[in-house]
Amino acid sequence: MDTPNTLNYMLAGYLIFSVTFFGYLVSLWVRWQGLQAEEKALQEVENQE
Amino acid sequence: MSENPKAPTSRPASNYFGAVMAVTWKDLAAEFRSRELLSAMLIFALLVILVFNFSLELDREARESVTAGVLWVTFAFAGTLGLNRSMAIEKDRGCLDGLLLAPVDRSAIYFGKALSNLAFMLIVEVIVLPVYFILYNPKNFFSPGFFGVILLGSIGYVAVGTLLSTMAVQTRTRDVLLPILLFPLVIPVLVSAVQASKGFLSGLPIGEIVPWLNLLVVYDVIFIAAAFMVFDFVVEE
Amino acid sequence: MSTQPRALVALNVVSLLLLAASYYASLVYAPLEAVMGAVQRVFYFHVATAWVGMIGFVLAAVAGILYLWKKDLKWDEISVAAVEISLVFFFIAIVLGSIWARPIWGTWWTWEPRLTTAAILEMVYLAYLLLRQGVEDPEKRARFGAVYTLLGGISVPVTFVSIRIFRTIHPVVIGSGSAEAQGGFNMAPAMLQTMFFAIFAFSIIFVTIFWHRMRLSALANRVEQLKLKVME
Repeated sequence: MDTPNTLNYMLAGYLIFSVTFFGYLVSLWVRWQGLQAEEKALQEVENQE
Repeated sequence: MSENPKAPTSRPASNYFGAVMAVTWKDLAAEFRSRELLSAMLIFALLVILVFNFSLELDREARESVTAGVLWVTFAFAGTLGLNRSMAIEKDRGCLDGLLLAPVDRSAIYFGKALSNLAFMLIVEVIVLPVYFILYNPKNFFSPGFFGVILLGSIGYVAVGTLLSTMAVQTRTRDVLLPILLFPLVIPVLVSAVQASKGFLSGLPIGEIVPWLNLLVVYDVIFIAAAFMVFDFVVEE
Repeated sequence: MSTQPRALVALNVVSLLLLAASYYASLVYAPLEAVMGAVQRVFYFHVATAWVGMIGFVLAAVAGILYLWKKDLKWDEISVAAVEISLVFFFIAIVLGSIWARPIWGTWWTWEPRLTTAAILEMVYLAYLLLRQGVEDPEKRARFGAVYTLLGGISVPVTFVSIRIFRTIHPVVIGSGSAEAQGGFNMAPAMLQTMFFAIFAFSIIFVTIFWHRMRLSALANRVEQLKLKVME
């Protein structure tokens, strides 16, 4: 029996994994950046008071 | 609006039971006067059956395999309607706070509400089933097994639904949230109830239906117990 | 205050290395499977991400119970982090499972127990997040979230059992000869090693991501506190 060529499926799988996994990490980083900016801005306001 | 448990205050057990009955009776009495809940649930359920008829265009044979599913989907949706309205009425009229002031274990409120919700769901089922029978004349319809499944399934559905609707009514999104919360959790009930119903309707030997019945009973017991333990956390102020 | 502790930096490096090694092991080290071809290789990440998803699920449920018991909001943060990460990892597991199924069974989706339960679990997670979104008070939000994870924690295994009473075509991977194992394959030693390595690697990766997610929660809390102070 010949081994079927399922390479495209494999590549699709690894692609989806990579995009989703690293995409999630990026989302964590983006949220972190946003919160850090907020923290900085709020601290400045607090210092002014 | 304060609640007076009907039972004498001497023995805690009857006090609790009295409180449960008081809550249930309050709901039933109010509903028999206004009938707003039941009419909404009924009209909705009958409409769903109607829509199924036109969307599923089935011949006699195909319809047999689909009856159980159609009925349970109908009951699930009508049930959601009832659960939502029942809790919303409670909150809007401020009854919930009044009930919470009563000197009785809070789970009595849960059981009372669950019982009245169950009653409403059963009433709707009792009306929808004959209508379905008249329209489609399915086989083996009026078997005690089939009715037993309807009862067990409704109990499980209402047990979880009452608890979740208590939470949902306290959120911003309210009505929309209940089905989203409820349906994923209630899948074992729907699966078992549909399979068991199918079994009874197509006259399967009882041995093949028993696993589903067991699952229904187990689910009901587990979730009534869980709701009992957890209800306090859901109505804290 | 917002610089990473040294242990976390070390974990970052270790996790990245383990991830790279997992890519290598699954793509190069593991032998090509004769019956299914290349697509079988997604199996390793499929199992590893499903495993991480399970850890998250259990952690979320346990943290929920602990919150109800201890009333410390830290447990609530743990629950949220666990649910979020588990949501992502189970999603990957489901998609990989689907991609694996397609060339083998000719269908993108099968209503078999594990796959269906995973999909339902994702819905439970989304419902959890929606529930939390609808509650403003943090204490109430935590309480409701904990109750829902508890109910979900009970319901999902029961769901799995109920669907399993149907027949399944999910492969029984470790060598069973029954009809159920149609999609199964015999695992060469190198495959077994790769699978266990992937599970181990992703467990470490989970810890690292979880730590990062908890730090994000802590930062969000600090911002909330600042907001309240400034508003006065």
